[in-house]
Amino acid sequence: MTDDLRPVWEKRYSRKGFVAISAMTAFLAACGGSTSADDEAAGPATTAETAKKLSGELFYYNWADYVNPETYPAFEKATGVKVKKDFYASNEDLQAKLQGGARGYDLIVPTGYMVQILADAGLLTEIDWSKLPKVQSNLDPKFKGLPFDPEDKFSVPKDWGTTGFVYRTDLVKEKPTSWRDFYDLAKGPYSKKVTVLDGIPEVVGSALVMLGYSYNSDDPAELEAAKQELIALKPHILAITSTEYKQMVVDGKAVMALGWNGDGAFVASKKPAQYVIAEEGGEFWVDSYAIPTGAKNPDAAHAWIDYVYDPKNNSVETAYTYYGSPLKRDLLDGVLDAEVLGNESVFPAEATLEKLEPNSVSAEGTKLRDRIWTEFKAA
Amino acid sequence: MKEGRRRIARAGPRYPGWLALPAATWYVLFFLCPLAIMAAFSVATRTGFTDIVYGFDLANFRYLWDPLYGKVFLRTMELAFFGTVATLLIGFPLAYYLARYARRKTLLLLLVIVPFWTSFLIRTYAWLIILDSQSPLLGALRAIGIDRQILFTPTAVYIGVVYTYLPLMVLPVYATLERMDWTLVDAATDLGDSPFRAFRRVTLPLALPGIAAGSLLVFIPLMGEYLNPVLLGGDLTVYAGNLIAQQFLTSRDWPFGSAIAMVVVAAMTLLVLAYAKLASRQTEYGS
Repeated sequence: MTDDLRPVWEKRYSRKGFVAISAMTAFLAACGGSTSADDEAAGPATTAETAKKLSGELFYYNWADYVNPETYPAFEKATGVKVKKDFYASNEDLQAKLQGGARGYDLIVPTGYMVQILADAGLLTEIDWSKLPKVQSNLDPKFKGLPFDPEDKFSVPKDWGTTGFVYRTDLVKEKPTSWRDFYDLAKGPYSKKVTVLDGIPEVVGSALVMLGYSYNSDDPAELEAAKQELIALKPHILAITSTEYKQMVVDGKAVMALGWNGDGAFVASKKPAQYVIAEEGGEFWVDSYAIPTGAKNPDAAHAWIDYVYDPKNNSVETAYTYYGSPLKRDLLDGVLDAEVLGNESVFPAEATLEKLEPNSVSAEGTKLRDRIWTEFKAA
Repeated sequence: MKEGRRRIARAGPRYPGWLALPAATWYVLFFLCPLAIMAAFSVATRTGFTDIVYGFDLANFRYLWDPLYGKVFLRTMELAFFGTVATLLIGFPLAYYLARYARRKTLLLLLVIVPFWTSFLIRTYAWLIILDSQSPLLGALRAIGIDRQILFTPTAVYIGVVYTYLPLMVLPVYATLERMDWTLVDAATDLGDSPFRAFRRVTLPLALPGIAAGSLLVFIPLMGEYLNPVLLGGDLTVYAGNLIAQQFLTSRDWPFGSAIAMVVVAAMTLLVLAYAKLASRQTEYGS
């Protein structure tokens, strides 16, 4: 990540960051039904007079720190649409808020599995591809028809990344390359110096993949085997956290951490560290643009999506977030900083990607994982 | 207890009932109604990721009947019990000092309440820094030969819990001791009791209502404790509060989450009733 200069507090809410209490309050707010989103979105659109092609406001509900701050004024200048921002800390936050009845958001960025859940719940409106000429020409075909939205009806990819682990190259002399290495080193010389994400599919998935099963397995016997691995790992874990681990690895309190590639790149920008996509495989996730039901200004949402699909505008984004861009690679050549384009943590090699799977755990699989997670934590 | 009953008996029928109306409405709307919704959820079933099918199915409770969840409940009770005891052991002497000896009571009481001016979340984050292995506190402990990791251990959770709930214990105990007739203690010592015996036989029984109130105020929220284990405990253990949050925010199983919450509410009701009964009996013996 390039957010070295931003204060620690902002980082806590980074893309995949999750602060328990914020989720809790968002959830409580969702239960309350009406939220400020309704009220504020109903207010007058102050930029209507200055509009060029479009008008009004774009109410963009997103992960914090997931858009280059320079992009907002540039978009406003190009389209005349004023951007209003609100942020969430997890996919479940977003879901709770939309299900609780919050309306008025024009654009959201759920992760793949959440696109499916929201679409099934009738909380998304269809994308009008005729309004997205740049997306049509610039999107890398491998991001079309992804399993969570096979007909590309509800979502347009924004960024993608992977789940693996990061380790301090100066403090870990072995060179771990697989989940097996990660688990063995954690149970051996680096006991109590290892953290894992507070994410059920990510952590259970790492054990499944290590054992040669699918990241999304629903098979009780396979899940049972994964559980045994996790319970054996448990006493050696320093903390289960999705928010604090970057800093812990930077400070050297933890020397290895199961986490996301953007966070790995952040650690590597501060200290000698390496982000690893495990040999056995792991998760490959895509965050996508989607338009929720009840959007006030879907035209503006389409305009934003098409705007950031311009290779130049897109490079501004990628150089900021350090997460992979779904644009055709040759379009980024010479436009995106070569250092970012050549960074294996941001754009892993094709062969590496083939081993990865997107999260598509079923409802039953989620239920089984929930119990495993409780047992893991209670161990 | 006894005194209260007498007062109500004397003035009872003349209380204008409508005075309770705002509070009663509030409780019905924001306590009983949500509780009823939760009860309905707890016997509903989940299909797919989001759909809830209403009906009467005890499957969620059967699923909860599992040694694993029993362990989680026991651990929660253990935290609530020892957390309350620790808060009492640390809070009582302070309340005693405030009520009996302190010169600038108002100022000191204000200091007890001052932490409430800052967000609970921020105060807990502050503990993350204080208990960090590179903090001055841990450095000082190392200097005197105690080299221990505190953050992300149960010790850190208890430190956070006592810190969080201390005012809830100190204030009711102080209120009782402040009203107490200290001449009774003087009489006991004059008649030959040692100070310790006088404390045990006079002060303590008279302070019991305050201790009971404080203990309940600490024990009840501790049964749903969520933040201290997550932040200071490194989220390495699971308590009932975390389990419920996990159902609502991660696994998206609202019916199961509601079932757990209902069981916690039921267990707490029983415990509180038993405790109230015990405390009132002791008061009668004492006074």
